[in-house]
Amino acid sequence: MSQALPSSAAASVAPVRFSPRRVWTLAYATMTQLMRMKILPFLLLFCALVAAMGFGFSTINPEQQLSQFKTMSLGVLQVFSIVFGIVATALLLPKDLEDRTLYTILSKPVPRFDYLLGKLIGVLMLIASGLIIIDAVLSLILWLQQSMLFASAVSQLHSENQDSPEAVAQMREILARQGLTWNLHWAVWAIFLKATVVTTVALLLSCIASSTLFTIVITFCITIIGHGHAMIREFLLQPNLGSTSIRIVSFLLAAICPDLAQFDVVDSVANGEIVPWSAVYEMTGIAALYITVYLFVTHLVFVEKEL
Amino acid sequence: MSATPAVSVNHLTKVFKGHLGKGAFRAVHDVSFTVEAGEVYGLIGPNGSGKSTTMKAILGLLNPTEGHTSIFGIPSTEVASRRSVGFLPENPYFYKHLTGRETLHFYGKLCGMSGAPLKSRAQEMLALTGLEDAATRRVGGYSKGMLQRLGLAQALIHEPQLLVLDEPTAGVDPSGSRIIRDLIIEFRTRGITVLVTSHLLEQMQEVCDRVGIMAHGRMVREGRLDELIAVENQTELVLENASPDLLAKIDALVKAEGSGTRLLRSGHPRTTLERLFIEATNEPKKP
Repeated sequence: MSQALPSSAAASVAPVRFSPRRVWTLAYATMTQLMRMKILPFLLLFCALVAAMGFGFSTINPEQQLSQFKTMSLGVLQVFSIVFGIVATALLLPKDLEDRTLYTILSKPVPRFDYLLGKLIGVLMLIASGLIIIDAVLSLILWLQQSMLFASAVSQLHSENQDSPEAVAQMREILARQGLTWNLHWAVWAIFLKATVVTTVALLLSCIASSTLFTIVITFCITIIGHGHAMIREFLLQPNLGSTSIRIVSFLLAAICPDLAQFDVVDSVANGEIVPWSAVYEMTGIAALYITVYLFVTHLVFVEKEL
Repeated sequence: MSATPAVSVNHLTKVFKGHLGKGAFRAVHDVSFTVEAGEVYGLIGPNGSGKSTTMKAILGLLNPTEGHTSIFGIPSTEVASRRSVGFLPENPYFYKHLTGRETLHFYGKLCGMSGAPLKSRAQEMLALTGLEDAATRRVGGYSKGMLQRLGLAQALIHEPQLLVLDEPTAGVDPSGSRIIRDLIIEFRTRGITVLVTSHLLEQMQEVCDRVGIMAHGRMVREGRLDELIAVENQTELVLENASPDLLAKIDALVKAEGSGTRLLRSGHPRTTLERLFIEATNEPKKP
C-alpha cells in the first residue's frame, strides 16, 4: 500500500464529471442483480405461453388466426414489460438503501446522477434483452405459422379445385400482410419505449417515496391514467365542463402523467396496418422527451434526498 | 503532518423535518471538531446521540441545516471530496451475486480504476484483510466478520487518505474484532487518517489518539484521549525502589519535600474511557 499523502488531496479539487464508464459499471451490476431475481424462468414461461398461443387458436380463417396471435402475444408482452419495469425499479433503490450499498457507492466519488442513470439503464437493458429474445421467438412462431397456414390454405384450394395462380397469390398476399413483417419489430420497439417511459416514472416515484408498495401502486395508477391522456386533454379543451377543482386536478394529471397512448401501435400491427417510419421517429422522439424530463426531475429530487 | 485537517466540522446542526404531524427533530446541535491528518479519531456516544448523522454529513450523504463540513479542505457537499475518503457503514451488505474479488473490482471501477492496477490493488486489499482464500466465493456466503473485512477492503480500494468507519466491529466475534482493531492500528502506521465510531470503548481506548463524546446531539467532551481520561483533582506518584517502610512514610516524605527517594513521574491517574463515557453521557441534557 502506498503511503498516504494528505496534502495532495487539498490541491485536487477538480470536479468529478459524468462518466459513461461509471454508468456502465452501475448498469451492468444492476442488470446482473436483477438477473439473480429469477427473471429467466419467467421469460422462458412467457416464451412457452407465446408458443402455445401461436398454435392454440382455432382456425376461423388464416388471416384472423395470425391477427389474434399478434394481438394476444404483443398485449401480454406489453403488460410483462411494464410490470417488470415498475416492480424492478421500485425494488432497487429501497434495497440499496436498506443494504447500505447506496452508502458505499455514494461515498465514493460517484455523482448521484451517474448512480440514477446506471440504475435506469440496468433495468432497461434487461427489459431490452427480454424483448429481443421474445421478439425472436415471436418472429419464428409467426413465420412457422404463416408457412403452415399458407400450405394448408393452398391444399384446401387445391382440394376445392380453386387453386388458380391468382387465388394462391391473393392468399399469399393476405398472409404476408398478417404474417412476419417489420411491423412486428416496430410494435416491440413501441412496447419498449412505453416500458422505458413508465420505468423512468417509477424511478422518479421511488426517489420521492420510501415505500416500495407506494411506488408500485402510484406508478400503475399513472400508467392507467397515461393511457387515457387524450380524454383528459379533450375534457380540458371543453371550457364549460366540470368544476374548477376537477379541472385543476385534471390539468395536474395531464401535466404529470405521460401520454402512453402515443405508443399504442399493437392494434394497428395486429390488423396488418403498416407502421410508417415517421410514426416510429415520432414515438422515439416523444419517448426521449419524456425520459429527459422525468430523469431531470428525478435528479433534482435525488440530489437533495437525505440518505 | 499537513496543515489542512483531514476532517473539519464547523457548527454542524442537522434538523430533520417532521412528517405527517410529527415535529422536527434536531439530531445534531452545533457540533464542531477537527480530525488532523494521520490520527485516529474516535467519535463515541450512545445510540441516537447524532454520531451517524454527523458521519453522513461529513460524507455528503446529508445536507447540514446549519454549519458546514469539509474533507481535506474540500466541502463535503462536493463529490470531489469523496476522492480521498473510504467509508465502511455499520453492518454492510454487498451485491450477493458477486464474489469478493468482483465486489472490489466493482467499487474500484466506480472510483475510475481499471485494468491491471485495479486487479493488483484488489489482490493487495484481499491479502491485507485476510480474504484471499474467499476471493472467489460469492459474498452471499460470507460471515459477518468477512463482510466487515470486505467492507474495509472496498473502503481502501482507491487508496483513500481518510477512512470513515461506522461501528466496524458491530456483530463481529472477538477474534474478528481483534483483526479489525489491528488493521486500524496498521492504517495509522501507514499514515491513513481514521474516523471511527464504536461501542467497544476498550478497543477505542487502544486505537484512538483523540476522541469526541456525543450525547443528545451535542459534543460533550472532545480532546486527546490521554488528557480526557486524566483525573484532574488527583495526583499520582510513581516511586522507584520504595521499601514498605518508605511507603509508610510517603505522606511525611512528601510534606518534607526532600529525601533519597527519587520522584520518577508525577501526574494524574487515569480513569477508563468507559467510565468517562458513562459520566459524560449521563450529564443532564442542555436546553
